[in-house]
Amino acid sequence: MMMDKKSLLEHGLLEQYLLGELNATQCEQIEVLLASDAELKAHFDALELNFENIGLDNSISPPAVVKSQLLARIKIAPAQTPEAETSKVVSFTPRSNTKYYLGIVASIAALLMIGSFWMYSQLNAVKQQLQTVETNNTLLNTTIETLNTELERTSSFYSDIVGPDTQQYILKGNALAPEAKVVSYVNHKSKSVVINTERLPELDDDHDYQMWADVEGEMIDMGVISKDKTLMIMAYIDHAESLNITIEPAGGNDHPTVARLVTNVYLR
Amino acid sequence: MQNDSTLIQQLKNKDERALSLLYDKYSGAIYSVILKMIRDEGKAQNLLQDTFITVWDKAESYDTDKGRFYTWVYRIAKNKTLNVLRKTDVLIQTDDFSVYDTKEDAVSIDSEYLELNGALTTLEAHHKEAIELVYFKGLTHKEAHQEMDVPLGTFKSYIRQALKQLRETYAKTLSLILLMLNAL
Repeated sequence: MMMDKKSLLEHGLLEQYLLGELNATQCEQIEVLLASDAELKAHFDALELNFENIGLDNSISPPAVVKSQLLARIKIAPAQTPEAETSKVVSFTPRSNTKYYLGIVASIAALLMIGSFWMYSQLNAVKQQLQTVETNNTLLNTTIETLNTELERTSSFYSDIVGPDTQQYILKGNALAPEAKVVSYVNHKSKSVVINTERLPELDDDHDYQMWADVEGEMIDMGVISKDKTLMIMAYIDHAESLNITIEPAGGNDHPTVARLVTNVYLR
Repeated sequence: MQNDSTLIQQLKNKDERALSLLYDKYSGAIYSVILKMIRDEGKAQNLLQDTFITVWDKAESYDTDKGRFYTWVYRIAKNKTLNVLRKTDVLIQTDDFSVYDTKEDAVSIDSEYLELNGALTTLEAHHKEAIELVYFKGLTHKEAHQEMDVPLGTFKSYIRQALKQLRETYAKTLSLILLMLNAL
């Protein structure tokens, strides 16, 4: 349809344009004419104002709930609107988001790996430390055992020495060993003998001191005196009349070498 | 009218307050048009809400140079309402215009909502009817002249004359208001 100002007015096309009855091509043509013709535009403006006034004259107030729902909807709307401008933005964001999330995931994975290595090395270190501790513990236990044994021994010596039933006999050296002095503690109730050999002169490697009990003229072995101990438990012999110490070949003898008796004491 | 352009600019910048104020100003007129077309209050309220959602979403595409804001909103509302009517029509339409008769019979709404007010009431009956058909019932000029059973040319001159009279009435009202303002 050929359009000019005259036909526009005659055919009532402006009214139809205003009411939205025309197709896109016709609308475009009218818009071009309106933009170029001020008089036509003024006519159209008046027409619009007319229709607007008719509309406002006939207003019917909608219920308030429509407005509150509308305002509620536009607050949620931005996420849902499939509009062109938002879709432009939307197409952009997922990619960068994915990258962003991938970055985060990669960082977490790297941290976990580093963490795992660190924990593994820590675990090894701890294992080694544990082994050292175990070794030390074993050593300590051994030491404690040794100490306990030592303590038990010392305690038994002590109880033997300080008990009220203990009697002290001092064996003084004769001419063969004038400086010798052995203190012996004899408990007839618990039947124990403890001697202090601190003051016995040292012997060469081929000889040992040996202790004997005289029972009705017979010398009975009480044990060889160790060279590296100062307190020793000896065998208790019933009905002993005297305690005697002789020098015997290393390891002890079956019978005392009376000629090498160094000291003796009679028990009362 | 001047602060409309400010409000519209704010609306384009997604200012909810601007939408709220424009809604307050125009929702009554638009609701009236929708209601008179669809004759169902529930549907009319949904369509009114939809219309303003579109106004909100598409505000960017509204061009102030091409026409008034009200005209733009009116066209959106009319198109939406016609779409709903056409969907319903498929089921009940028997011939071109029976849908409107059927609708009138089928749906009862407060007749007060269908009455015309204001300057329109001063028009002669056939002028008033012509405007009502194209403006409040959503008929095209072609449909409307058949509905009124007059030639298209005649119908168009009804519209022209009606609008001319209305313009004069509004001009009088305006000058009356101006006189009153001066008197004060």
